[in-house]
Amino acid sequence: MERIVGLFLVLAVLVMIPAIDLAFAAGDEPGEYVDRRVIIWNLFFRMMTVAFTVGAVVAGTLIWLVWRFRESHPKAKPTAYEGTDW
Amino acid sequence: MSGHSNWPEWIYVAVVIALMAWVGAEAWNAERIIEHIPEGAEVIKVTGQQWFWTFEYEDGTKTIGDLYVEVGKAYKFEIRSKDVIHSFNIHDYVVLMDAVPGRVNTVWFAPDAVGEHDIQCREYCGLIHYNMRGTLHVEEPST
Repeated sequence: MERIVGLFLVLAVLVMIPAIDLAFAAGDEPGEYVDRRVIIWNLFFRMMTVAFTVGAVVAGTLIWLVWRFRESHPKAKPTAYEGTDW
Repeated sequence: MSGHSNWPEWIYVAVVIALMAWVGAEAWNAERIIEHIPEGAEVIKVTGQQWFWTFEYEDGTKTIGDLYVEVGKAYKFEIRSKDVIHSFNIHDYVVLMDAVPGRVNTVWFAPDAVGEHDIQCREYCGLIHYNMRGTLHVEEPST
């Protein structure tokens, strides 16, 4: 069952991407005079904002994880795999 | 493990998928806007060969190394190559398109200020690639 769901998920994506592309793609009508520098650099800055935010969250989570779950943390508890005689 | 909740993982997966979709959509949309050529854009045939650029204007005149355009007009470059792969780049206007033998690639731009800008080849194309340069001259409108 899961394989079929997975297969349909992949097929759906394969069908959806060209369909969306066709629906939103520029038609024959003339385009506007746009400043490509503005569009491209804006995209770059927005993507960098996302990248640094995600990077900070991931790095922060990892730092907290390492700090919180170190053996010497006051609230550290042994896991089932480590035995109970701490 | 009993009593273990994995909803944070699912939230994490959803956030990652949402972010990737958003990034893809934004990039695709920017590409769609800048590839859409305005009406009346003047066609300039750009030919790259080792190791110089040739520009052919709509009236048939040709220049080598120097590209002359006017402020406020749109220009569509049809980029070709006679030998190996080059890449036509006007850095100051973020124009960049490969010149591939046997293909015609297009890119357009509209200069907004008078001035001179560097044109350079951005794909290593042989011994004198480093000096496959040109100059973009943006001039006042003639009419």
